[in-house]
Amino acid sequence: MKTKIPIGPFHIGLEEPIYFKITLNGETVDEVDMINGFVHRGIEYLAMQKNFFQNLILTERVCALCSNNHPFTYVMAVEKIAGIKISKRAEYLRVIADEVKRIASHMFNLSMLAHLIGFHSLMTQTMEAREIVQDIKESIWGNRMDMSANTLSGVKYDLNESQIEYILKSLDKVEKEADELIDIYFNNKLVKARTVNVGVLPKEDAIRLGVAGPTARGSGVNNDVRLKAPYAAYDELKPEFIIEEGGDVYSRMRVRWREVKDSIRLLREALNNLPEGPIVTQKRPHIPAGEAVTRSEAPRGELIYYLKTNGSQKPERMRWRVPTYMNWEALRVMIPGNKLSDVAVIFNSIDPCISCTER
Amino acid sequence: MNEMKETLTRKVKSEIKERLERFDLREEIDEKGNIQLWLKLYNLKDILHIAQLVKDFGGRCIIISAYKKNNHSVLVYHFDIDGMILNVELELFDNKVYSITPILNSANWAEREFKEMYEIELIGHPNPARLFLDESIAEGVLREYMPLSQAMNGAATCCMWEKIENERLKDEN
Repeated sequence: MKTKIPIGPFHIGLEEPIYFKITLNGETVDEVDMINGFVHRGIEYLAMQKNFFQNLILTERVCALCSNNHPFTYVMAVEKIAGIKISKRAEYLRVIADEVKRIASHMFNLSMLAHLIGFHSLMTQTMEAREIVQDIKESIWGNRMDMSANTLSGVKYDLNESQIEYILKSLDKVEKEADELIDIYFNNKLVKARTVNVGVLPKEDAIRLGVAGPTARGSGVNNDVRLKAPYAAYDELKPEFIIEEGGDVYSRMRVRWREVKDSIRLLREALNNLPEGPIVTQKRPHIPAGEAVTRSEAPRGELIYYLKTNGSQKPERMRWRVPTYMNWEALRVMIPGNKLSDVAVIFNSIDPCISCTER
Repeated sequence: MNEMKETLTRKVKSEIKERLERFDLREEIDEKGNIQLWLKLYNLKDILHIAQLVKDFGGRCIIISAYKKNNHSVLVYHFDIDGMILNVELELFDNKVYSITPILNSANWAEREFKEMYEIELIGHPNPARLFLDESIAEGVLREYMPLSQAMNGAATCCMWEKIENERLKDEN
């Protein structure tokens, strides 16, 4: 017998508002329909009313977990139009801020996985380990989420010797914790029972839907922007080629943990080889008419900005697309055929950000 | 790596020349060696040829940007082919465009979004349903000027209370 079950728009298992209409055949999901738009705020329109400096503040507030990537990608677009070259030191500092955010974002998602499968001690342990990264953010950038690291023609922060030493010591602590956690996440029977062969996205569907980030890499598709189209210092600090073939929740989880480890490696490399130079090259740059497309690899995947200017102080058009925008439709492939109790686990496995997607 | 990108770009450019009659094409290379092509189309149906070309190269639609120019809409499609971006500009003088979603599924949401925000008519989209905006909100809302008082629906004044009272009375009657 078929039953229809609504989940959302506001539900204890959902971090943000979304409305699922699920058709069940017994305990198994037959069909899923999704309705969006509960947090659409018209931010793109607002961005066209703000000047180029004000948009630094606005873009950072589109979302919390990937808040650094928005101004990062936005400033690259403005700099491209204005022909601004930033210093090597600023490029490295941008990468450092971004990789710290990636570790914190991935560990938050992974702890949510532990929470959703009912493994609460694992969730607590993951969040405690993540606190070390949160402390780095608070100590260096003065904020646990919005770091305000980027500005036009460079960065707003610098690192001295003692700060570098502090971050390196904290990374040692995070890595020790991460190694212990990885062993549990990869091998524990309960974790495997709830994630292996759950929410499978076959490789051909991942390519067809154009999914991004760990969702793509968990299905054997590597479109990591840092590797495919390097920006900032990623032409020198090369990320590892991380890919898993299973296409299930387990594979996506493995990708995130492996990326946490790789981000720690990248951070050490960047901090130990930080070039000398100014952090900002132009205080008040003129932005001429033009258009540019730039992208970066946010924790959830590819983030792209399109910017069109007309020589005034404000964008003529600004458009961005976040990874969840592409990963959303993949849920229609992942969810059917699974148990109702797995829906929230599968939903979490794309690391959804509705606030980003709807803007 | 850069050599591979240049070979791919050459192949894409030669295919564009093969499949289209009238177009403008320019190439942009950044300091890291990343290549972007900027293509301007003059024939509405050519976007279908470009979508097929992107599919043949194993590419995807990243997003589509819409904006208003004078009295008509302009679409800029952004495609990715193995790390290279192909940007395609298409001006719509009668506000209609052929859907590329049947060829590239990755364009699905982007097309639905410009349809509801800019009231652009989609020809042949398999599911042209609303994406973000509620059915009660008119299409093309991003093109309109809306005073704050109207947008807030009088929420900060007695208007809201009067509205609720009127609706309650209507229900009771």
